[in-house]
Amino acid sequence: MESIKDKVAIVGTGCTKFGENWDLSLEDMIIDAVYEAYEDAGIGPEDVQAVWFGSYWSGIPAPSQPLATALKLDYKPVTRLENMCATASDALRQAAYAVAAGVCDIALVIGAEKLKDSGYSGLPTDDIAMGNVSTAINTFRSRNFTAPGHFAMMATSYFNKYGLSPEAGKEMLAKIMVKNHHNGTMSPKAHFQKEITVEQVLKAPIIAWPLGLLDCCGVSDGAAAAILVRGDMARNFRPDPVYIKACQIAVGPQEGYMNPRHDWTMVKETYRAGIAAYAEAGIKDPRREISMAEVHDCFSITEAVIYEDLQFTRRGGAREEIEAGTFELHGELPVNMDGGLKCFGHPIGATGLRMVYELCKQIQGKAGPRQIKNPGLGLAHNLGGTPGGATVSVIIVGP
Amino acid sequence: MSAPEKPAPPVNYWTKPYWNAANEGKLIIQRCLDCQKHIFYPRICCPFCFSDRIEWVPASGKGRVYTYTVVRSNAPSAFIGDMPFVIAIVRLEEGVQMLTNIVGCDPDEVRCEMPVEVTFERLNENFVLPKFKPAGSE
Ligand SMILES: [Zn+2]
Repeated sequence: MESIKDKVAIVGTGCTKFGENWDLSLEDMIIDAVYEAYEDAGIGPEDVQAVWFGSYWSGIPAPSQPLATALKLDYKPVTRLENMCATASDALRQAAYAVAAGVCDIALVIGAEKLKDSGYSGLPTDDIAMGNVSTAINTFRSRNFTAPGHFAMMATSYFNKYGLSPEAGKEMLAKIMVKNHHNGTMSPKAHFQKEITVEQVLKAPIIAWPLGLLDCCGVSDGAAAAILVRGDMARNFRPDPVYIKACQIAVGPQEGYMNPRHDWTMVKETYRAGIAAYAEAGIKDPRREISMAEVHDCFSITEAVIYEDLQFTRRGGAREEIEAGTFELHGELPVNMDGGLKCFGHPIGATGLRMVYELCKQIQGKAGPRQIKNPGLGLAHNLGGTPGGATVSVIIVGP
Repeated sequence: MSAPEKPAPPVNYWTKPYWNAANEGKLIIQRCLDCQKHIFYPRICCPFCFSDRIEWVPASGKGRVYTYTVVRSNAPSAFIGDMPFVIAIVRLEEGVQMLTNIVGCDPDEVRCEMPVEVTFERLNENFVLPKFKPAGSE
């Protein structure tokens, strides 16, 4: 089995403003993101040889033809795919494999989602949001059990395992959200660009105990895109291409709901995808070798557990690292430099490519006021599903 | 527009004994006759050894809260009137776990490791749902 390391490079990226984009259709956002990526790569639509398009449920049933029409793709192959919140990351993985296989030299990857005018808030469970579309039978996920509820159960078990009082636990989590909001103030394309305080997080209405409103990300409209080319061609496009070092996905068998010994203070899929990606990229000490990360902070507890699952710290070590400022913008290992899902926003099928967009901007020194010093390897962690059963992508890129 | 109703559990031939027992106020789970392990939720074969020699046995109904959340906000549904309500994973003495509700106490009193015991709540004329309450409470 070969590694994908350095076989494929990202030579252009684009991203719309995330938020309540009432005046933009799905196609409008796709055009904006894709043309920004074209311009960044110095190519045009005629250069693209194949397209991978990720979207979770915008406009279902949504075949590929509207995309081909909007982008004037001239009878080129388009693959539409869905892999829950990890959709865009998986689209990038598929495109990277095609380029690495040599079946195309220039591929376009798109992630896009139009949610706000659908009424979807992240709270409705399958029967409301999916209507008759969903035929899933799942004995263990009842309809009164929301996404915040699933992740909240990770927080209560985490507090219990490490002996944190509810107050101490909630304060630890609040500091993560304060960090992401601070970073978000420096992201002009972010959905939320406002500072918050620990006190505000602690006093926010409870959604699913112990998670309050400000422990939860919202959902957004938005699109992001990337142009991938063969690694050996990359410098023909630009002097500072970003190379893919690893792209791995781990899908769990819903152990949290099946296995009575499953530990809800971790997401095994994150741990396993991390191990696979580190092996593919040749990384032995992630804490030292990864210089920045964009991670799936759908809820505050998710980011805390990611620090441990990705081996940025030891099990139970999240709290002391948060206190030490390790993951702040100018800390030892900055996490969610652009504000993360919490502030940049979460248009489900676009999120993974938004993370890659930020890593590329950082590596190319174009991150403006949130630019970190000496960016090296960057990691994008994108989680679909719930702590009890998830689909997790870990992508590593670098100069 | 009529008010939404809480969904009723889907019943098939391998879950029917479970719901019949619940209707009589009894909690039963499965056990594999070949590897002796207890099984929940109801299956057609053993998830540990794939044997289809499975029997139904009474559960003690006693267990502990492994983890939980208190739902205080939700989209419109038949469950809105129940808020705040507790969703928990309860691990039973027999070694299986159930995703369930904790009832019969203030939601703020629920804690991880709390001993609980089964109680039964009627959903409608056809269904009774096993739930859990603090051990020893009325
Ligand atoms: Zn067996």
